[in-house]
Amino acid sequence: MAADQPLNSASLVRTAPKPSFKELLVAEIPNLRAFGASLSGSMHVADDLVQDTLLKAWSHSGSFMEGTNIRAWLFTILRNTYYSMYRKRGREVQDTDGIYSSRIAVPADQDGALDLADLRIALGKLPEEQREVLIMVGATGLSYEEAAVVCGVAVGTVKSRVNRGRNRLAELLGIQRSDDAADSGSTVSVNQTVSPVLRAS
Amino acid sequence: MNGRHDISANQAAANEGNPNIDRMDAPVLDQKIQDAIGRSLKAHYDDLVSAPVPDRLLALLAELEAKEKDGGS
Repeated sequence: MAADQPLNSASLVRTAPKPSFKELLVAEIPNLRAFGASLSGSMHVADDLVQDTLLKAWSHSGSFMEGTNIRAWLFTILRNTYYSMYRKRGREVQDTDGIYSSRIAVPADQDGALDLADLRIALGKLPEEQREVLIMVGATGLSYEEAAVVCGVAVGTVKSRVNRGRNRLAELLGIQRSDDAADSGSTVSVNQTVSPVLRAS
Repeated sequence: MNGRHDISANQAAANEGNPNIDRMDAPVLDQKIQDAIGRSLKAHYDDLVSAPVPDRLLALLAELEAKEKDGGS
């Protein structure tokens, strides 16, 4: 279809997609902050990360491929920024404004959801390679495939990390059996244990 | 990546030829538990997403856009 359209340079210049690109970025800011906070454990660090990410995204807008998931593209930038610049300073998940440690009560607004404060503490104990994929696949709407691209690993690796991360969370939260879960039902597997060797190095 | 290799080397060897087992190096949780964890992850994340966006981030984008329009090409 596009081949039929006359493409002269004037129309290319005038319809440069920057304005809508900006709107796309604005719309993704809340997700970028949430993902940045999930990586760093701090909303303040997340804001700096998002600022860097927006600047890079802006100057590399040409490398965004239309039709692909802009969230995945932005997450890739943010994640690379975090690991190359922030983490090197020795910043593991830190508790400056500690989303993974504070006992601020957050109501679990959905039926059957676990206590959020408990979940956050447990999340903070996960190896980051498991935490990041759990968040991406479990909460941000990214597919396994997209999460694999963001992390630069194979899809099977993402699936494995999600699986291990979920098991570790269940272990930390003490809900390895279904009747431990908020929504109780028939007990399925009684002795699910997670091997302690499954730890990222 | 290194970590994973170390962890699963023995298991991968034991399960050679079965790609499913090779990846399943942890037991699969009961569906109800998976669902509960899934809902909680979503609640955790949605709570972060709903935090108000600092003005400076919006201002930054407005500035970048204005600069581009000014400077033109």
